Amino acid sequence: MAVAQDHASPEGRSSSPFWTIARRDSLAGFLFIAPQLVGIIVFVLIPLGLVFWYSLHEWNVLANTFTYTGAQNYQMLIEDSNLLEVLGATAVFSAGLVVFNLSLALLLAILLNQRLAGITIFRTLFFSPVVVSLVAWTIVWGFLLQKNGGINGMLQVLGIEGPNWLREETTAMISVIVVQVFKNVGLNMILFLAALQGVPNELYEAARVDGAPRFKQFRRITLPLISPTILLTSIITIVGSLQVFAQIAVLTQGGPGLSTTVLVYYLYQQAFQFHFFGYGSTLSILLFLIVAVLTFAQWQMRKRIVFYES
Amino acid sequence: MNYHRALKSAVAALALAMPLGWSCTATAQDAVNLRMTIWSANEAHLKLFNEIAAGFEKDHPNVTVTYESLPFDTYTTALTTQIAGGNAPDMAWIFETAAYDFVNSGALFPLSDTLKATKGYNLEELSASAAERWSKDGKLYAYPFSTSPFAMFVNNDLIKASGAKPPAELIAADQWSWDNAIATASAVGQTGKGGLIVRDFNYQIWQNLASVWNGWGASPWSADGKACTMAEKPMVDALTFIHDAIFKKKAIPGPGENVDFFAGNAAMTITQISRASLLPKENPFAWDLVPLPKGPAGNYALIGQAGLGVMQTGKNAKTAAEFVAYMTNPENSAKLSQFFPSARKSLLNAEVLKKTNPLLSQEQIDKVVISGIATGKVIPGHTGFAQIQQAVRSGLDAIWRPDADIPGTLLKICGQIGPLLKR
Amino acid sequence: MKAELSPRLKTFLYGLMCVLLIPFVFPTWWMATSSVKPISDIFAFPPQLIPESYDWTTYSKVFELQPFVQQYWNSAYIAAVVTIGTMAVSSMAGYAFARIRFPFANTIFMIVLLGLLIPSEVTIVPLFRMFLKAGMVNTHWPLILVPIFGAPSVFATFVMRQFFVTLPAELEEAARVDGLGRFKIFRMIALPLAKPALASVAIFTFLHSWNLFLEPIVFLSSAEKFTLPQALTQYTDAYGGPMWNIQLAAATLTALPVLIVFIIAQKQFVEGLAHTGLKG
Repeated sequence: MAVAQDHASPEGRSSSPFWTIARRDSLAGFLFIAPQLVGIIVFVLIPLGLVFWYSLHEWNVLANTFTYTGAQNYQMLIEDSNLLEVLGATAVFSAGLVVFNLSLALLLAILLNQRLAGITIFRTLFFSPVVVSLVAWTIVWGFLLQKNGGINGMLQVLGIEGPNWLREETTAMISVIVVQVFKNVGLNMILFLAALQGVPNELYEAARVDGAPRFKQFRRITLPLISPTILLTSIITIVGSLQVFAQIAVLTQGGPGLSTTVLVYYLYQQAFQFHFFGYGSTLSILLFLIVAVLTFAQWQMRKRIVFYES
Repeated sequence: MNYHRALKSAVAALALAMPLGWSCTATAQDAVNLRMTIWSANEAHLKLFNEIAAGFEKDHPNVTVTYESLPFDTYTTALTTQIAGGNAPDMAWIFETAAYDFVNSGALFPLSDTLKATKGYNLEELSASAAERWSKDGKLYAYPFSTSPFAMFVNNDLIKASGAKPPAELIAADQWSWDNAIATASAVGQTGKGGLIVRDFNYQIWQNLASVWNGWGASPWSADGKACTMAEKPMVDALTFIHDAIFKKKAIPGPGENVDFFAGNAAMTITQISRASLLPKENPFAWDLVPLPKGPAGNYALIGQAGLGVMQTGKNAKTAAEFVAYMTNPENSAKLSQFFPSARKSLLNAEVLKKTNPLLSQEQIDKVVISGIATGKVIPGHTGFAQIQQAVRSGLDAIWRPDADIPGTLLKICGQIGPLLKR
Repeated sequence: MKAELSPRLKTFLYGLMCVLLIPFVFPTWWMATSSVKPISDIFAFPPQLIPESYDWTTYSKVFELQPFVQQYWNSAYIAAVVTIGTMAVSSMAGYAFARIRFPFANTIFMIVLLGLLIPSEVTIVPLFRMFLKAGMVNTHWPLILVPIFGAPSVFATFVMRQFFVTLPAELEEAARVDGLGRFKIFRMIALPLAKPALASVAIFTFLHSWNLFLEPIVFLSSAEKFTLPQALTQYTDAYGGPMWNIQLAAATLTALPVLIVFIIAQKQFVEGLAHTGLKG
């Protein structure tokens, strides 16, 4: 489409008063983004609007009724006695996931950034869970985390009696976090590795000449220089953590009690298991707002925290 | 087992399915395609259903019937989501636990008139107790085509190896009580194998524990469904007994322990008799099928039911009802009963049942099947069951630990589900 | 940090990495080996690292119980189409957001970024109703159209934009003086330079599509249309009881080819990823 326009008047900027450079650029810009923009409108914005519309209704699927109830679902949201616990679990899960994911990713990236023979083999293996299907990965961990499963079997060899991982509140939360981190930490690891390799070597040499110890070099040189990467990976990881659903459903089904019922799982339960589609939609809106606010806050924070931007 | 179930309830639950032949209905005005959602994907089942459909299509040349198998674990969720998506089937199997939801909501087309009008149907043959959950205001809204008693499968090899007495001997000596059953399970449990497994319970599907607590006369809520009775003495006693069996006697595998009876790894399992088909053909073990043990409240039985209903929203509800009448007439009921025990009185005799359950002995059929169907209570159900199930499930998690406060926890659960029951 | 390491430090680092590797490697190993164990051995305690007896029939059953080859093809072709489509859509949009000045560009960019923030669970019900009206339920269209044009492609657009922003302006200036139009500049100058970023987009997109779980389960209902992650959950007996060893065999079959491709092409893989433009 843009091609035809371009061919039409190669010297358009002088010969055609209407098709100025700015106008032609505007047209080209719109044409370039059109597929994406239309897709977002059709597959994101309109559905989101519909979800909001549903959230103002009580939708009884079996009785086939769809009644406008105004803010009633939002009233229910405020009065929902489980919601506080669910939001707490969500916060613990997301925070734990981000902290563990980013620190492990950074640690692995630093290790892989060393001059060691066979380092590519390690890099491949650390990255390998990323390409294993999520379902397979979670099912396997489900086996391993059983009371009489593989993890406790290994611990037993070391003479430790392992906990009943998925049945205790604390260990269940740890389990779902850890399973998710091992699956995906490879991605962040590679991004960090790329960032580390982008740090100019001369800076370290200069620091060594000054006699700065390794840890100080890391804190003063490495961290500031890779801070943009840290910011972006943390945004992606946080947003991703709020969407983790299948893993929780497979491993704990939100239990024991409500201890691992994160918001997206709660939403799923209300809408698809209890058939409260109206209330489920209300929870969707809440989830969307949380994600949006968090992302906005992180984006704002970058000015303070990020030391350097290319 | 948890994982599989969980996985599917998690996501497969969203299965909003579409029938294969859905789009072909519009061609001719009279052509009617009826779709029935079912939870079995078993080939033998489907073969029989298709035969029945073919019989109906002979008399109704404009009608075709298709069956759509949805995953067992998440069947109700998937069905409801289809309905929400504007894609309701014409007919659907319904679990006993979800019966109240479907019957009370008005989602189902009343069947009584059609069934009564069908020649030779004999609706009176269906006992009132079997029809109870599926009726409202004297009208039958779904036909209970399967009435399957719970019983106990036993691995006599493991029990003998542990030195305990096999249940058959206990029954002969009139000592088949829960105390003795758990003692046997405990003896096997001490050998490192599993003791007793309440199949599909998995510390999630707690309603299956009714197969135990009914022996104490316990029930989660009152007969009218309005009041929580979980904190009352029978339930406290029953759960204390179960708790001891798990954590003190090692008679029941604890939470997070995976043991499979049908792989030969446990002494006993409580499940529906239809699961006899899971008994291993290679490396078989000496098995037996016995009635549930006697509890402090005496003998009892538990049954699971499945209903077949017609969706009110379908355009062809009348035709669908006629098909239900055909599928469940005496002749086809007899065919169905080889997989799904019928509640029709004429089919509840040892002769018929022996033919349809070749794996079971005459004695097993008499003691377990016939008396089970005759006296059994149906698994607990309620309007809004999914939400109540979830609330109780997460509440009971506090009991499934060695140092549990059982009466306190049950009181708390009643506080949680009280408002839900009253709705 | 690039100084030679002492032998002692090296030994320590190797040891540390080996210990850290266990949780990354063991599950895959266990999955592969358990798929040929008899079902009672899967639950053996302590677990068998190497099967004591082998039962290879699980693999033939994988193909008997479901149209597994067809499902494999479904997953593969959907992932391929989605990957190519996403590369086209996101590179164009990314280029425009980075290099072309047009009215409301920033506002539109922000709107597009909304797609990053919305979990698919949130919009699945309205999407299902839309595709039902369009007659596209139980076809592969939703699994192709939504990822290429909808929320999942936004990340790709973001990556492409971050890359194109770093291109020096002089390159384009010269081309414009030569009279090249926008599309030609994009195709002949910008795009060839963007190979690393495109590679990373391709990898992300392929993996995302290959692992997609919720959407296939919602949109597809007949076994011959299923994708692999969905097919994995279908290995059950008539009562929903799982057939563990067969399921693990199927899981191994879905994981191994991707793992092998990854091991062979891991250099390009990792270097492609490293160029996601997330450095700043």
